[in-house]
Amino acid sequence: MTYEFDWSSIPGALPFLWEGMKVSLEITAQAIVVGIVWGTLLAMMRLSSIKPLSWFAAGYVNLFRAVPLVMVLLWFFLIVPKFIETLFNFPPGADLRLSSAMMGFALFESAYYSEIIRAGIQSVPKGQISASYALGMTYAQAMRLVVLPQAFRNMVPLLLTQAIILFQDTSLVYVSALADFFGAAYKVGDRDGRLVEMLLFAGAVYFVICFSVSRLVKRFQNKQPA
Amino acid sequence: MIKIENVSKHYGSFQVLTDCSTSVSKGEVIVVCGPSGSGKSTLIKCVNGLEPFQSGEIIVNGISVGDPKTDLPKLRSQVGMVFQNFELFPHMSITENLAIAQVKVLGRSREEAMDKGLKLLERVGLKAQAAKFPGQLSGGQQQRVAIARALAMDPICMLFDEPTSALDPEMVNEVLDVMTELAQEGMTMMCVTHEMGFARRVANRVIFMDQGRIVEDDAKEAFFANPRSERAQQFLAKILHH
Repeated sequence: MTYEFDWSSIPGALPFLWEGMKVSLEITAQAIVVGIVWGTLLAMMRLSSIKPLSWFAAGYVNLFRAVPLVMVLLWFFLIVPKFIETLFNFPPGADLRLSSAMMGFALFESAYYSEIIRAGIQSVPKGQISASYALGMTYAQAMRLVVLPQAFRNMVPLLLTQAIILFQDTSLVYVSALADFFGAAYKVGDRDGRLVEMLLFAGAVYFVICFSVSRLVKRFQNKQPA
Repeated sequence: MIKIENVSKHYGSFQVLTDCSTSVSKGEVIVVCGPSGSGKSTLIKCVNGLEPFQSGEIIVNGISVGDPKTDLPKLRSQVGMVFQNFELFPHMSITENLAIAQVKVLGRSREEAMDKGLKLLERVGLKAQAAKFPGQLSGGQQQRVAIARALAMDPICMLFDEPTSALDPEMVNEVLDVMTELAQEGMTMMCVTHEMGFARRVANRVIFMDQGRIVEDDAKEAFFANPRSERAQQFLAKILHH
């Protein structure tokens, strides 16, 4: 007996799926912003000559890179909210679980961003810092005006590639009952008894989005002067 | 203006500078030469605190560079420095390169900084390149911009760290011409360079370094006519051969 495909439930499910997609995009955007800001700070700590800062950043990055994302999400979904509630005496009605899971996701991705940014900072020749200092700039000015702008320019392709990976990783938040695109597709498929079609469709959507963005990155890379 | 007293520096167990002492008076032009690895670049970078040193003292315009209480950024903003590899900021236009430190460090207005930058560009003969980016200029042009960038800060003295070593031979002179002009206008200069022609033309004194020590510190006439140390004699014989 062969499986009879039935795609008819997809058009009706599109609005619901779109809601899910918005959640996915929101988590992605939030993780990119937090990842770049916090990742930059981590990278600067890691490269700092102040030992405790550098140890902290190294520990942070190594910890998050050595644990599976799903596990981090579960920690932040189950353990951290309880902990915060007890610690700060939150009223039991406040539900921190979702925002906590999203924060966990962003903190996890920051570790990866920080490694990209660290490499980017190191790709800027040391002489640029010397020249900035020689003109009387402070460390903060040299970083902000001279080193980071060049570092980010060198990093754009890698940052975008990481953003694609991050977008795919958002599907893992289904463990925390967040209705992201993947979660939404699963729910609708389950409800209509058309799980196979729905998951194939969701896969196709992920593929189209990620593949087109990665083509864009390639084009951008080719345009950049060597 | 610059006083260097018994400065020593080591990286771990490797001694880079040993007991170096010299001074540069206002309006003087000093050329520092010596074989590679003799510590001359390190010495000049100690003068504006880009390289720390473990013992001795450097006084620039009455301020001790090695003193932890010294406001190094402020001191550096008064000391111009030109690097071997130009170190223009590649993500900024030429005018932006000239203006940025004037605005961010000295607190000048943008108009004032732009104005000053353009005047200096004209002086080094590069006004036409103002809107370009460093990558679009030749090495010699970039180095002239770098000199203009340092001058834009109205420095009390200028440090040159092998300013022509990374240049193609035909571009060396355009940079040396700018430096010569600067010297003739009375700028206090300390130049690490192998350009002995330049030293003969404009230097007041020549310092010769070898293995982290100042071996000779003489008026230029005496240095070229009659170097005292054997090491300097060998060096001159080699470098003046061609």
